[in-house]
Amino acid sequence: MIIIAILIGCIVGAIIGINAPIIPYTYSTFLAIAVVAALDSVFGGITSVLKKNFDLTIFISGFFCNSILSIALTYLGQKLNLDIYLAALVVFVGRMFTNLTIIRRHYIEKWMTKKQENVENVQE
Amino acid sequence: MNNKKVISFILGLMCVLLTYGIVVQVKTINSTGTTTSTNAKANELKDAVLKAKEKYDNLYRELEQAEKNLEEERANATQNNSELSELENSIKEANKALGLTEVTGKGIEIVLDDNNKIPLNSWALDPNILIVHDTDIMTVVNELKNSGAEAISINDQRIVTTSAIECDGNVIKINGVKIGAPFEIKAIGLQEVLINVNKVGGYLNYLKEDRFLEVSINKVDEIKIPKYTGVMKFEYAESK
Repeated sequence: MIIIAILIGCIVGAIIGINAPIIPYTYSTFLAIAVVAALDSVFGGITSVLKKNFDLTIFISGFFCNSILSIALTYLGQKLNLDIYLAALVVFVGRMFTNLTIIRRHYIEKWMTKKQENVENVQE
Repeated sequence: MNNKKVISFILGLMCVLLTYGIVVQVKTINSTGTTTSTNAKANELKDAVLKAKEKYDNLYRELEQAEKNLEEERANATQNNSELSELENSIKEANKALGLTEVTGKGIEIVLDDNNKIPLNSWALDPNILIVHDTDIMTVVNELKNSGAEAISINDQRIVTTSAIECDGNVIKINGVKIGAPFEIKAIGLQEVLINVNKVGGYLNYLKEDRFLEVSINKVDEIKIPKYTGVMKFEYAESK
């Protein structure tokens, strides 16, 4: 059910996006950093599901707060003539890789134990 | 809150937002028509150019709006006064003659293009003759003027009294704006006379037969020629 909802959401979002007007180039940096922040939240969400401490409220608030904060930081950076968004980018992408590692380890370990059990079954 | 339906609904909604953001961003970057360079300096410069261009476009739109407002105000102010409306008409006529208003009408359309069919390595003569040059355009424009063209534009650059057609390396500069082949020359005037520039002995015929350029000429009943977008300044010329 959740997977179906995600799939439908992705398709609907893509359709709306294709038909939507483009945004001014000046603001495209803001949208880009918001997208990266949101992607980071999604990876964080998947990790917390695997760790079995997923909480919807925390997930949603993280999704929006991260996006808004990163946009605000980018804006501040433009005002101060300092590329603050690079710092946000490093943190988000770094966290994405960490979470990806956790997800990968989880599934590989699961797969390995399954394989081990199979071998034991055959030996018996 | 942890109802499964609610969770899937909210997750779906977030996916909508996320994919929407990604697709719009990709579309925006694609529309700028540039590729991201791996060189940070080049990216920075590209960014600055795109931002400046956007600013220019916005300001130009504002200017157009202001001009429209001015025209409306003028029309309102001169509505009930025959003397003023006469003046208003003479302003309009003068602007039309200067090329400061968009004009439409019957005319012809010439498309000039380099010869891309002959491979250069099998070409023993000067390869320059296979390319459209600034002087070619100048001669064609001159012939069109001679045939009574009232308004001429080349790739949407209006030819006005101060227009220069100059060579700028691989491209041609008209009114200070770089344009490249194919050149689309539009002219408004009496079609039957204008079409004569195509006749044997004319320059277009020479371009087609002796220079092997791609030339096409068509009568078009509804031609739209844009206005001159630059600034006309007369600092030294005074009228008595």
